[in-house]
Amino acid sequence: MRPSELKGKSIQELAALLHVKGREQLLEKFVSLGLPDKKSEEYRYVDIEKLFDADYQTLNYVPKPVQQSDTIEITDGVVTAAPKGLRIYNEQCDAIDMEHFDPLYYLGHLLSPNIIKIEIDGDAELELVHRFTQSNALIAYRIVLVNQSNRHATLYERFEEEEIEKSLVLYGYDMHIAQDSTLRIVKTQLMQNNRYAMVASHKINVAKHANALLKSFDLGGDFGLQLLKIDLDAYAHVEAGHLLYLNHASKRGTVSKIVHKAEHSTSLQEAKNILDGNARGIFDALIKVEHAAKYTKAHQNSKAILLHDDAYMAAKPQLEIYIDELEASHGSTTGQLDEKQLFYLQSRGISYVEARKMLVIAFANTLIETVKDSRHQEQIRSAFEEAFYAGHTK
Amino acid sequence: MSKSSNNEKVLEIKDVHAKIGNKEILKGLNLDLEPGKVHAIMGPNGAGKSTLSKTIVGHYDIEMTGGDILYKGKSIKDWEPEERALEGIFLSFQHPVEIPGVNNAYFLRTALNAKRKHEGKEELNAAEFLRTMKQHLEELGMKSDMISRSLNEGFSGGEKKRNEILQMLILEPDVIILDEIDSGLDIDALRAVSEGINRMKDGKRAFLVITHYSRILDYIKPDYIHVLKEGRVIKTAGPELVARLEETGYDSIEEVQ
Repeated sequence: MRPSELKGKSIQELAALLHVKGREQLLEKFVSLGLPDKKSEEYRYVDIEKLFDADYQTLNYVPKPVQQSDTIEITDGVVTAAPKGLRIYNEQCDAIDMEHFDPLYYLGHLLSPNIIKIEIDGDAELELVHRFTQSNALIAYRIVLVNQSNRHATLYERFEEEEIEKSLVLYGYDMHIAQDSTLRIVKTQLMQNNRYAMVASHKINVAKHANALLKSFDLGGDFGLQLLKIDLDAYAHVEAGHLLYLNHASKRGTVSKIVHKAEHSTSLQEAKNILDGNARGIFDALIKVEHAAKYTKAHQNSKAILLHDDAYMAAKPQLEIYIDELEASHGSTTGQLDEKQLFYLQSRGISYVEARKMLVIAFANTLIETVKDSRHQEQIRSAFEEAFYAGHTK
Repeated sequence: MSKSSNNEKVLEIKDVHAKIGNKEILKGLNLDLEPGKVHAIMGPNGAGKSTLSKTIVGHYDIEMTGGDILYKGKSIKDWEPEERALEGIFLSFQHPVEIPGVNNAYFLRTALNAKRKHEGKEELNAAEFLRTMKQHLEELGMKSDMISRSLNEGFSGGEKKRNEILQMLILEPDVIILDEIDSGLDIDALRAVSEGINRMKDGKRAFLVITHYSRILDYIKPDYIHVLKEGRVIKTAGPELVARLEETGYDSIEEVQ
């Protein structure tokens, strides 16, 4: 399948190309938004057309026997392992957001008529591994994640791949965070060049008095974009932290839209971006406060450090506000490593490369330290170091 | 030529010219440091005292335009700052920089292990290092929370200077440059810092104490006083020169050709 062939097609033509029956509303939404290209607002900083021009093998998403394991494992879009007793279903998605801004959210649903539904029990702490084993493949799957009211669960998410090349992964969550609950998602993704590119398109509903804590640690190379649409009900809270460390010619980042739909909802979004080589980082984030969302608090901030003259940060924090009764702020800074700090470390015998690493990790630490579990903190630092040394000699 | 030049030298600064931007600050500076001796550099504001210390450690602000610096007989003028440090040159900064997010103990262990590796010694693990660090913290009257705090972040002036001395004690350098180590210190901190420095006096290390005021020299007894003026050492004498400088100021000192 060559995704570029979906461009400019009618609903009927798309239905035939994607082998979809029914689902007219989804097809209609996809057609109205159009296949992204370099003129698309959300994809203008990445070469999405190049990815869509490649010819990918399509995979069969047939459920397999699920092995018992401490972690949930999804291999090429199919659940292959899970902890005992965890409720996981393959079923049609009954709650698709019809106001999502991302066309690939709809394409993902069209390519994945059956989603993977995971119901998190109680105050669980789960680990999810996404594993990719196929080269030149279009790996498309979607996950519905639900938790229970009054509970506080955590999901640690990471990505592994075999020696594959040039695959494209389209995945994403439809997440429903129940009233009075907390769901914490910590994603760590260390990517290497030319293995796979990824577009992760998420929809997150945060119910009344619920908390969504979303931390993403995107490290290394290649192409990756996470697109988030987050709807906040009354007294709902989202805290989103995005760390980006990119090397070589990587293009990765976050495009998000947080919508305050009801009163007393709060959002706090912080991006820290460290860009090396000729990498391009993206933080294109909109917070929208609707008329009904009185007494909202909304804050967003992006900080970037460029380690190389050819690195580039596209930071665009935005507020769209329709009321007066709120507290809101946004800001963005881009700079370089502090020469005085670098020299101080060198003057104690620490090499230039090691001193740079210490300073970039120090910059990242405020986000890494928001991960409560120290073992996972160490895993993130270790992945960070691996990405760093991929571009520097010790 | 300084009086100390007849003896064994650990550092030889030979006719050094250096500029910051377009301004020449050091204009043919000569100075030799002997092992086991304390050399005090005194001079008026703008004489080039801090530029001298930065030149020795290879600061990025400085462009050396002439002369040479020999350390244990080898020219170091083209060495990177970390090479100079690994070989045993240490500068206690006048204004130590704050580095949020870099843990003080982690930083010091990284620095010490870099030096040990350079010397072909085995690196210390975290437990071994912490034992050493705690011992020095106690000696300097420093709180144990210094271990977990970020490097110099939120430290008082006194804490920063004590932290510099802590680094010196742990890294055990051979040439120790103390740039205005007494500035911003109260009398207790000055005493603690001086005691730390004096502990390092083992007859082998050379000290270069850069100061405006003679107060620090009551605690760290100098062997030589060098007067620096307009980018050159214009006089070298014994500690008795301090009293004269206190009395008559730098204007009374004439360059000895």
